[in-house]
Amino acid sequence: MSIYQPGPVVVRGRDFTAYRIGGAIVAALLFVALCFQVWELFDGDARTVPEVSWIAADNTPDVGGMEASEVIIARTKLLDERWRTGPSPEGEIPDLALRSGVVLNTVPIEDPSPFLTEAWATPDNEALPMIKPSDRVAGISSLPYPAAEIFERPFARDWRVGIADLVTHLGALAILGFSFLLALLLAIRGRVPIVEGRSRRCVKRFGLIERATHWMTSVSFIMLALTGITIAYGKTLLLPFGEEFLGDAGWLSTWGHMMFFPPFALGLVIMAGMWLRHNLPSRLDIEWLRRAGGMMTDSPDHPSARKFNAGQKLIFWSAVLGGGLMVATGIVLMVPFYFFGVDGMSWTMLAHATIGLMLIAIFIAHIYIGTVGMQGAIDAMWQGDVDRNWAKEHHDLWLAEIEGKQPEGTR
Amino acid sequence: MARAKFLCDTDRCIECNACATSCKNEHEVPWGMVRRRVVTINDGEPGEKSIAISCMHCTDAPCVAVCPVSTLYQTDIGVVLHDKDTCIGCGYCFYACPFGAPQFPRATLFGTRGTMDKCTYCAGGPEENGSEEEFRKYGRNRLAEGKLPLCAEVCSTRALLAGDGDEIGEIYRERVIARGYGAGAWGWKTAYYPEEQG
Repeated sequence: MSIYQPGPVVVRGRDFTAYRIGGAIVAALLFVALCFQVWELFDGDARTVPEVSWIAADNTPDVGGMEASEVIIARTKLLDERWRTGPSPEGEIPDLALRSGVVLNTVPIEDPSPFLTEAWATPDNEALPMIKPSDRVAGISSLPYPAAEIFERPFARDWRVGIADLVTHLGALAILGFSFLLALLLAIRGRVPIVEGRSRRCVKRFGLIERATHWMTSVSFIMLALTGITIAYGKTLLLPFGEEFLGDAGWLSTWGHMMFFPPFALGLVIMAGMWLRHNLPSRLDIEWLRRAGGMMTDSPDHPSARKFNAGQKLIFWSAVLGGGLMVATGIVLMVPFYFFGVDGMSWTMLAHATIGLMLIAIFIAHIYIGTVGMQGAIDAMWQGDVDRNWAKEHHDLWLAEIEGKQPEGTR
Repeated sequence: MARAKFLCDTDRCIECNACATSCKNEHEVPWGMVRRRVVTINDGEPGEKSIAISCMHCTDAPCVAVCPVSTLYQTDIGVVLHDKDTCIGCGYCFYACPFGAPQFPRATLFGTRGTMDKCTYCAGGPEENGSEEEFRKYGRNRLAEGKLPLCAEVCSTRALLAGDGDEIGEIYRERVIARGYGAGAWGWKTAYYPEEQG
C-alpha cells in the first residue's frame, strides 16, 4: 500500500498508440528471427562439411577428382614394406606416384553436402577392429608449450558441442525470445504510464557521478555485447557479406572487446560502492515481486519501494555478480594458460560465453523498462530529475524520505 | 575417394623426432610453434610408448565448427586447412582440438595470440598452389605435387603413415599380422569415427 493517497487515473498504458504499433512491428520481426533460430537448431548443419575439392591439374573437375584420389592412393603405396614397393629397386613403383610439378589443384565445392562427412564417420569392417576406445592420453613432451604432453583429449569434442551448439543456440533463443516477449508486452499492454499524469514538479533522483558512472558502464557493456555477438554469431550474421569482412570484423571485435573492458570493470566497482546499501534485500521486495511491481495494471496503487525496488535490485545484482564473473573469466582468458591449463581454459571460455549471453538477455529487459517500457523512467538516468508523480507511484518510500515525510508504521 | 589420414604405429616409433624436425624445417615454421610433436607415454616404465601427433584432419572437424570467423575449412579428402588472412587468434580451435594441433605465436598482448598455425597435411592454404605467398604463410604444398606429408615420408621405421586411410590401414593390418602384436590405431576413434559407439 502506498503511503500517499492515490489520485485519479489520467493516463492509461493502452493510450500510447504509436508505441504499441512500434512494439507490434518489432514483435513481428523478432518472431521471424526466432523462427529462423529454431530452424537453425534442426537444419542439420552442425556437422563440418568439406568446402574445397582436390582435382588433377590437367583434368576437368568431374574426372579430375577421381584422378586426384588415384594420385594420393598411388603415393600411399610407397609407404608399404620396403621390399614390396618402390622406391626400392626391387619394388614396384606404382603409376602416378612419382611425378613432378603441380599435379593437383583445389577448387571450391559449389554445393557442400554432409554426404562425405557421413561416409567418413562410418568405419568399414576392415577399420573397425583397429579402433581403440576414445580416452584421455597424456605422457611427457620435451616441448615447453601448453598441453604439449597431451596426446589425446576427447573432451575437446564435447567442448565443441558446448560452445558451437548449446551455448550459441540457447543464448540466441534466450535473447530473441526475451526481446519478443517484451515487444509483445509493449504492443498489448502499452507503456507503464504515470497514472496520474505528469505533475510538472521534479524530484532529484540521480546525481552527476551516479549518471556518469551508469552511462560509462552501459556504453562499455553495449560495446562488449556487440563485439561479443560479432564473435559468437558472426558466422551467421556477417558471413553473407564475405569472409574478408567477417575476418576484419572479428579482428576489430577481439581488440574492441579488450578496449571496453577497463571502463566496464571500473564502472562496476563504483556502482557497487554507490548503490550496494540501497540494494540489500528487504521484506518489501517479496510483496513487490508477488505483484510483479504492479507493472500489468494501470492502477496508481503500486507496491511500496524505497530508492530501488526488487526489480532494480535484481538488475543491480546481475550487473555486480554477473559482470564480476565476466571480468574474472575475461581476465583469465586474456592471459592464456597463466592461471589454468587447457581444461580450465575451456571451462572458463564456456562460462564466459554462457554468462555473457544471459547478461545480454537480462539487460535487454533493463533497457526496455528504462526507455520505451515506462513513461518517465528515462528522465531518472538522463537528466537526473524525475517527475514527482512518477516517484510517488514507483518509489513512494524514497520520495517520503527525501521530502522528510514520516510514513506511518512502515519503517 | 581417397580419405587422407595419419596413423602412428606406437610399436615402431623410436622417438627420433625426425618427423617433428623435418616438418619444422620444410615449412619454415616460426619460432615458438610446432606442427608435429612426439609424446612419450609411461616414460621410463615398462610399456613405454612414443607417438607422433599433429593435426589428425578429423571427420566432422571440431575446429572448423567452432571457428568464429570461418578461417578453418575442410577439403574433400578430409584435410583441414586454414586462412591466415581472416584468423583473429581467439584460440577456440585450440580448446576444441582433441590433439592440441593449433599453435599460436603468442606475440601479442591480451589473449589475442596472433594468427593460428597448424599442420596443413603439407597442402598449403587458400593461395594459389605452389605460389611464393602460399609458401610464406603455410609452408610447402607437397600434396599439390602429388606427394604426401614429409613427416611420414621421412619416417625411418615407417611408424608414421600418411595417405589414403584404407591403404595405410591395410599396411598396418598386414604388419600386425606378420609380427603378431599391435596396439591399434591410436586416436582414430576420436579423430575419424566420432559417432561410433564404444
